[in-house]
Amino acid sequence: MTDVKKNLTANPFNNLSTLRLDQSYADTVGVKKLLTTVPVRKPGRQDFVRVHPDQKYRLTPAAIIEVKEDREVYLVTPDMAQALPGEFSLVTLYLTITRQGVIHLWPVKLSGPNGKQNEWHRSAAEAAERAMKKWVRVTSSMSLGAYEIFEASGDLPEPVWPDLSFEEIVEIAFRERLVDRGDHPLVQRLLGAV
Amino acid sequence: MAEFLVCRRPTNLVGGDTACENGVAARINVPDPNHARKDLSASHGGGAIDEVVPLDLLPFSEIWAVDFEFGARAGENLEPVCLVAWELRNGRKLHLWRDEFGAASPYPTGPDVLFVAYYASAEIGCHLALGWPLPERVLDLFTEFRNCTNGVPTSNGNGLLGALAYHGLDSIGTIEKDEMRDLVLRGGPWSAAERAMILDYCESDVAALARLSRAMLPNIDLPRALLRGRYMTAAAQIERNGVPIDTTTLANLKRYWSDIQDQLIADIDANYSVYEGRTFKADRFAAWLARNKIAWPKLDSGRLDLSDDTFRQMARACPSVAPLRELRSALSQMRLSDLQVGSDGRNRTMLSAFQARTGRNQPSNTKFIFGPSVWLRGLIQPPSGYGIAYIDWEQQEFGIAAALSGDPLMMEAYRSGDPYLAFAKQAHAAPPEATKATHKAVRDQFKECVLAVQYGMGAEALAQRIGQPPICARELLRLHRETYRIFWAWSDRVETHAMLKGSLHTVFGWRIQVPEKANARALRNFPMQANGAEMLRLACCIGTEQGIEICAPVHDAVLICAPLDRLDADVARMQAAMREASRIVLNGFELGTDAKIVRSPDRYMDGRGTVMWDRVMKRIDEQRQGAKQ
Repeated sequence: MTDVKKNLTANPFNNLSTLRLDQSYADTVGVKKLLTTVPVRKPGRQDFVRVHPDQKYRLTPAAIIEVKEDREVYLVTPDMAQALPGEFSLVTLYLTITRQGVIHLWPVKLSGPNGKQNEWHRSAAEAAERAMKKWVRVTSSMSLGAYEIFEASGDLPEPVWPDLSFEEIVEIAFRERLVDRGDHPLVQRLLGAV
Repeated sequence: MAEFLVCRRPTNLVGGDTACENGVAARINVPDPNHARKDLSASHGGGAIDEVVPLDLLPFSEIWAVDFEFGARAGENLEPVCLVAWELRNGRKLHLWRDEFGAASPYPTGPDVLFVAYYASAEIGCHLALGWPLPERVLDLFTEFRNCTNGVPTSNGNGLLGALAYHGLDSIGTIEKDEMRDLVLRGGPWSAAERAMILDYCESDVAALARLSRAMLPNIDLPRALLRGRYMTAAAQIERNGVPIDTTTLANLKRYWSDIQDQLIADIDANYSVYEGRTFKADRFAAWLARNKIAWPKLDSGRLDLSDDTFRQMARACPSVAPLRELRSALSQMRLSDLQVGSDGRNRTMLSAFQARTGRNQPSNTKFIFGPSVWLRGLIQPPSGYGIAYIDWEQQEFGIAAALSGDPLMMEAYRSGDPYLAFAKQAHAAPPEATKATHKAVRDQFKECVLAVQYGMGAEALAQRIGQPPICARELLRLHRETYRIFWAWSDRVETHAMLKGSLHTVFGWRIQVPEKANARALRNFPMQANGAEMLRLACCIGTEQGIEICAPVHDAVLICAPLDRLDADVARMQAAMREASRIVLNGFELGTDAKIVRSPDRYMDGRGTVMWDRVMKRIDEQRQGAKQ
């Protein structure tokens, strides 16, 4: 009690920093933004994007099936791919992020069985490579027959990647669209079983 | 007889002798650096609590609950009528009628004495009027009640009566209170019986104060409460100083205002054709907007939004709207008769300290010279042989946001001296060698973006301010988020903390509780506004304690007055006080200040009001010339 008296009879305004309350709000109950949706698509024509440069953050080759009428992309396990010849495409899935911080998986088609890769696929792969170091925008040019690649000239800040492994991201992206068994509805549909 | 106004809060409690409050327990928050790392409990009035001690163990040799009754004619200083004071430990009571006031305070006022009052600047104003020394440790139960309930509705208001009701304590009815107030309002002389009734009335307030102390003390964060009490002492001095006014011009303005309104409308409306007589016609205004291709905000009903806020914003984006806005504001809001100016030519009104949710002062717009019509500030003029200075912090909100969030890029931008241009450079929208002159347009857009973030504006509103399509505004806002990521992460934490824990607080414990319908933008902006208020209060304390004559605090500025031979030195001392206050509030980060100095016989002028002022003065001169002929 004596200490209390001593403290308050002393001028409480002499050292106001001792009265200062923290303003960082760092001790507040943690709130983490959850990643629950990861689209699988090529970058929008207006989006500047970056591709994760770490090889751990890409899947190649990956077998996918694009169901155009439903605008859905399915990931096919290697076992199931063997059972569905001609139904899937082989792609590299790149982890990609826009300037707005939205992440998605960018499927870039690989060369066919004969080793030939058309200009669309080649230019997309080149764009993905460039996007590992620079912010790029990719637009399709019908007259060129390939993607045009635009590099941002400004010294833009590096992207902030989500704190998740690539496996976790792939799991989120294909949570309900993983073809891993013969009785999968998509397989049944492709085989004309339903 | 001059009209008497009693500047008192609604009060009263009829109670017995509650002077001896030995059983009261008070939680004492001893200054402790560790508190800086503790959070405030939502269940307390702010601040971490260390221990509970009885009132008689409070570390003061005496605790005085004090109440004055007083009159104050509009614009004049307080005139104390009587005093009742109770020492809350030994039961000593003082009852003094005005003819019994001596030259010295009847109770001690040193640092070992706690002075308890409700809206203490009134009691301290009476000390000033009587030439008594000012109490050094003030506990104002009004500020603490405001702090305890800030953000949530109080069904009976914030007066003493409301605080009593909030704590479930008895009080007399408003009718009895009004009768007693009217008796004081009537002015003297009072009969012996009336004197006794007024003293009884005053004593009932002190009894209420004593009981309220008992109810509130357990949850009062004492060291920080004393800091708020310290400001009430500064506020009393500022209210007493008042703002020097050119009373001759004010008299002319009052005399001719009605006559010149039609001419002013004709002058300004010549470029708009939106008035019919003295009536603003919305359809004509819509036609003018269409002719000038100006997109004007609309209400949900589809009608034009004609609020003053919208006019003010649009006037910034479209300067052609500004004269019309000034005219509308002058015609609709200006009530010259309400401007309170005393016989010594000083504009005085209650600052209404701590009335705003942010803890800022909230003086009456119509009674205070710094009300909404900026051109009217031309009436501010130092007395002969004196000068005034309007001193404000440079980009205060930006600086506070930078320092509190700890965003290094934002702090770097502030320290550059031109944060708007620095932001443009950091976002690579301007080259490193850009200057305000070479990149004015870019700087203006980035400035508007910074302000938009501070006001919590969306892209549409920003687009209107900068006169650009929404896509440009969205890009600017995106650049802000991208450039100042650490600030935005902190801002997210502020909102999260508010929504999860139910309150926010300033560095010195001014709290807001999250209301039922929380406004996320207001919550995010609270640290800037409320800590800005802390900074201003602290600067006012330091300034007044150094003997600087502060005439008015104005949001992020103060107006001071000094004899000409001392003016420059006082300006320098006030600027030093403001820098010191910023360092204390922002943990070492210093904000710069600007000073606009006006020496007698010149007058103060806000640049935004110059055109309107000149126009009005010209018309008044014509009227006066006409009257002479």
